Amino acid sequence: MHALVQGLILGILTAGVYALMASGQTLIFGVMKVVNLAQGAMVILSAYLSYQLFTSFGIDPLLAIPATTVVMFVLGVVVQLVFLRPLRAEDRSELSLLVTFAVALLLEGIMSVTWSTSVRSINTSYANSSWSVGGYQITLVRLWAFLLSIAALGILYLLLNRTRLGRAIRATVQNPESARLLGVESDRVSAIGFGLGAATAAAAGSIYGLLYPFNSGSHYDLISRLLSIVLLGGLGSIGGAVVGALIVSTSSAVVAATISPSWSEMTFFVILLLVLLVRPQGLFGTTARGAI
Amino acid sequence: MILRNRLLQKSVLVATAGAVALLMAGCGSGSGSSGTGSGSKAPLVIGASVSLTGDFSDSGKAVERGYQLWADTVNAQGGVLGRKVQLKIVDDASSPVQVVTNYQNLINKDHVDLTFGPFSTLLTIPASRVAERYGYAFLAPAGGGPDVFAQNLKDFFFVQPAPTTESGDVFAQYILSLPASERPKTAAYAELDDPFSAPIAENIRTKFEAAGIKTVYKQVYPSETQDLSPVMAALAATKPDVIVGGTQSEDAYSMVKSLVQLNYNPKFMYQSNGANSPLEFPDKVGKGNTSGIFSSADWFPGSTATGSAAFTKAYVAKFGGSAQTVDDSSAEAYAVGQLVQAVAAKTGKIDNATIISTLHSGSWPTILGNLAWSANGSPTGTFNLVQWQGGKLLPVYPSSVAQAKPLAVKPSWGG
Amino acid sequence: MRSPRSLLGTVRGVGFFVVLGVLPWLTPAHWILNILVFTLMYAVMSSAWNLVGGFAGYPSLGHAAFFGIGAYSMNLWFEHRTLHSGYEPFLFLPVIGLFAGLVGLGVGAIAMRTRADVFAIVTITLLFVTQTLAFNLRGLTHGAQGLSIAVPPFPLATFERPFYFVLLGLLAVAMGISYGAMRSKFGLSLAAIRADEDKARGIGVRVLGVKLLAFSVSVGLTAMVGGVWAYYEGYIYPQFAVDPLVTIAIVLMTFLGGRATLWGPVIGALLLETTQQTLAYTLGGSQFYLIAYALVFLVVMLLMPQGIVPSVQDLLRRRRRRSVVDGGEPAPGADDPVDPPAHSPGLGQSMTAANGRG
Repeated sequence: MHALVQGLILGILTAGVYALMASGQTLIFGVMKVVNLAQGAMVILSAYLSYQLFTSFGIDPLLAIPATTVVMFVLGVVVQLVFLRPLRAEDRSELSLLVTFAVALLLEGIMSVTWSTSVRSINTSYANSSWSVGGYQITLVRLWAFLLSIAALGILYLLLNRTRLGRAIRATVQNPESARLLGVESDRVSAIGFGLGAATAAAAGSIYGLLYPFNSGSHYDLISRLLSIVLLGGLGSIGGAVVGALIVSTSSAVVAATISPSWSEMTFFVILLLVLLVRPQGLFGTTARGAI
Repeated sequence: MILRNRLLQKSVLVATAGAVALLMAGCGSGSGSSGTGSGSKAPLVIGASVSLTGDFSDSGKAVERGYQLWADTVNAQGGVLGRKVQLKIVDDASSPVQVVTNYQNLINKDHVDLTFGPFSTLLTIPASRVAERYGYAFLAPAGGGPDVFAQNLKDFFFVQPAPTTESGDVFAQYILSLPASERPKTAAYAELDDPFSAPIAENIRTKFEAAGIKTVYKQVYPSETQDLSPVMAALAATKPDVIVGGTQSEDAYSMVKSLVQLNYNPKFMYQSNGANSPLEFPDKVGKGNTSGIFSSADWFPGSTATGSAAFTKAYVAKFGGSAQTVDDSSAEAYAVGQLVQAVAAKTGKIDNATIISTLHSGSWPTILGNLAWSANGSPTGTFNLVQWQGGKLLPVYPSSVAQAKPLAVKPSWGG
Repeated sequence: MRSPRSLLGTVRGVGFFVVLGVLPWLTPAHWILNILVFTLMYAVMSSAWNLVGGFAGYPSLGHAAFFGIGAYSMNLWFEHRTLHSGYEPFLFLPVIGLFAGLVGLGVGAIAMRTRADVFAIVTITLLFVTQTLAFNLRGLTHGAQGLSIAVPPFPLATFERPFYFVLLGLLAVAMGISYGAMRSKFGLSLAAIRADEDKARGIGVRVLGVKLLAFSVSVGLTAMVGGVWAYYEGYIYPQFAVDPLVTIAIVLMTFLGGRATLWGPVIGALLLETTQQTLAYTLGGSQFYLIAYALVFLVVMLLMPQGIVPSVQDLLRRRRRRSVVDGGEPAPGADDPVDPPAHSPGLGQSMTAANGRG
């Protein structure tokens, strides 16, 4: 029982950062109908940026987020303009898988040249601090990670719901055709949407670097989780991404704590397959795209 | 799990260049043996495939440094039997397919004189089979799991003091050497699921259980586990006297961090690997948290084994750093070279058949201590028990190599 | 009814296999045959993947799971039998293929409820599930400790040949199936599914049966290659037997050579595998590899999104058109039909693809 609750706490605290990454992923899908396999690599890249800022200048990773966000936003826009826009519409969905995968490899290559492949971790002064609440351990880092992820998600929510740009993006997600008729410049929205998706990777990356050791190859582990999360929640649904992250991360933490970590990865894959059997569009997917 | 950066394996780009490369390579004559050859004798060409890219590249590069350092040292002394050593080190990108191709090419295309073993460990078996097929002696500094010896290859020599899975036995011997009242009563085991970690802890467990130390917790975790907190939380709840970690590297650090966060301090703590990294370990977990942790080592800074001082000095001169920054994989690779030299000195010959027949008898001094092998290539010695004391990693058991007395009870976290 | 072009196609096919068939006698060097063994493995798997990923337009990322199933099934043979001549395990391959094909039917029935991106992700999820099982079902797989396979007792001088010829046979089967599919109602049905599955159902294509059959045959062939690999490599670790890199490699090879073509996957495999193996050996490790690789990958995707074979065909066709005055029109529906120009939308493209490109 103790292990179960401890697992739940861990799972929920970790869910925040995954929700953040996944919301960027699902946003990119929403505006462009592109599954971005480079999302994980972008997260790791910003983790490295935070690492560099921390080791060279002593800037706390959490304070570095605004800077990394700007860098990643620009990177996202560039990737969209250079690599994705030229693809022809009719085979974009198939080719974009390969192209974003190649972008992931490119980023991985650049990272392994710049930082080598040794595993890095960001050791802040508070890295080992924790509180004991009613017999359960809550680490400071995780709590910060959770709160910041929630804050970043809140900002993203406001951006999408309270600004003109946000409305244009949401209109494009819901129906690209009518959005275009209403005067939304889809090219611009696509670029900005991709940039925003990458920007969420920036915040998520700083937090991720604080939580886990990483190297340039870590993005493979991330992307498989992210894909499961967005698919579970429903491609294109940010709310779905949050719920998906919660399910994935609590189920694996609980299984790791109560049964065995060997089966924890399997748990959410099985949940995903079961959900897809019943609802091929995912829990909150509205568009039946890609499904019968 | 997951894709891994072995992706480099497909590093081809080349795609555009065309398959021509194969044909061109076919035309190019065996360029491996064209030495600078100022001397009269042909160089001694030694081939090895090492993971310079991909998952295992850090240790792979350490192995490369060890081979290179040995070659430089021996060449400065005039080579082996007057033949300059020329290394041909190729990259296997941590891929099981590439490693087979590499040894095939080294042996049949470039006709190297000798082969040294690969890193990573997972690649040793496929590689050793290729070498065996063509009668090459195979001196491997890594990859000493039980299966590699079960092959009963007569040309295979694992260049470490004992098979990898027995490297923790020295900890069990130390614990059982304590008076009964000081021994731990309960033990917990957390084991990384790979061929070179979990079995070490399992061997210790067998010995502990036979001696009446009760197992209160055991968990195997997969290699992609980023976060050991759930496992450590469950482990700490059983309040074991001794924690045995079958660890590799990152998981060892994560284990210590989690225990510090949980504020659980066992009486004894052993980690098979990771904790024996003189530089990384204190850096990752904090110097104060290292105190009292045990690990195993073959080579360690300040070792008095044959040639160790010269090795350390040459290493620091060539690659910088200090004795503390020398990777033990480099030392193991260096020892492989020492063996070749020793065989040549003893027999006056250097060829594969001589190496195979000579090494099977007697005991051979290296920087890892004296090595000897049984017929299947498994070494018959033991590792040394090392412990962190006052921020330093010191050999503490057996007493023949000890530089300090073991701390029988682990100090609390933070030193 | 056979046009000269179709005859040319046959000659090309026979010539290809004859050359590969006598190659071991022309160049008996072990290191060359070794590289060819690995290359043939990928050629078979790419051709097999093409059946479902190319013709039917279902981009499976889970084929490596079946490669692993094949490898572990091969171990089952070794656990219950002992080697005599060394050829016995090859006789077990059809059983492996059949078994994996049946598993594929079940898996496909679930996975093929989804399409395109979602199908790709579902299949890669299946791959990870399989890998986890390979790690955790220790009774069957020995988990992370790995499995040792007996050493083949083949004579040193011709050690690689049995593997080489078995793989060459598998390649003939895979290409034969593709060739047959391109000239049959089955292939047309696949192309119709690829173009628009709902419409295909509307015009009476038995969608479910056709795509499941394609998937099943495809993964069956892949598993057989996995079995050969296990025997040749001699040792099975879960991370190598169920390796997403294998999937990625075969998808890349197929895309590079040209999807939904007979020769595309084979050419892709020949190019990628041989150059990669040779260059990794000759150039040694450099982290810049990955960057260069990714860049070329991107350039190829952007400039030649259809792959080598279709792009070259477009080029040839344009030349032929120019010389049509003195040459005469090639017969439509023959080996090289007059395709719509490359920039035409998917439907026409895939229909003609099924009609056959040689």
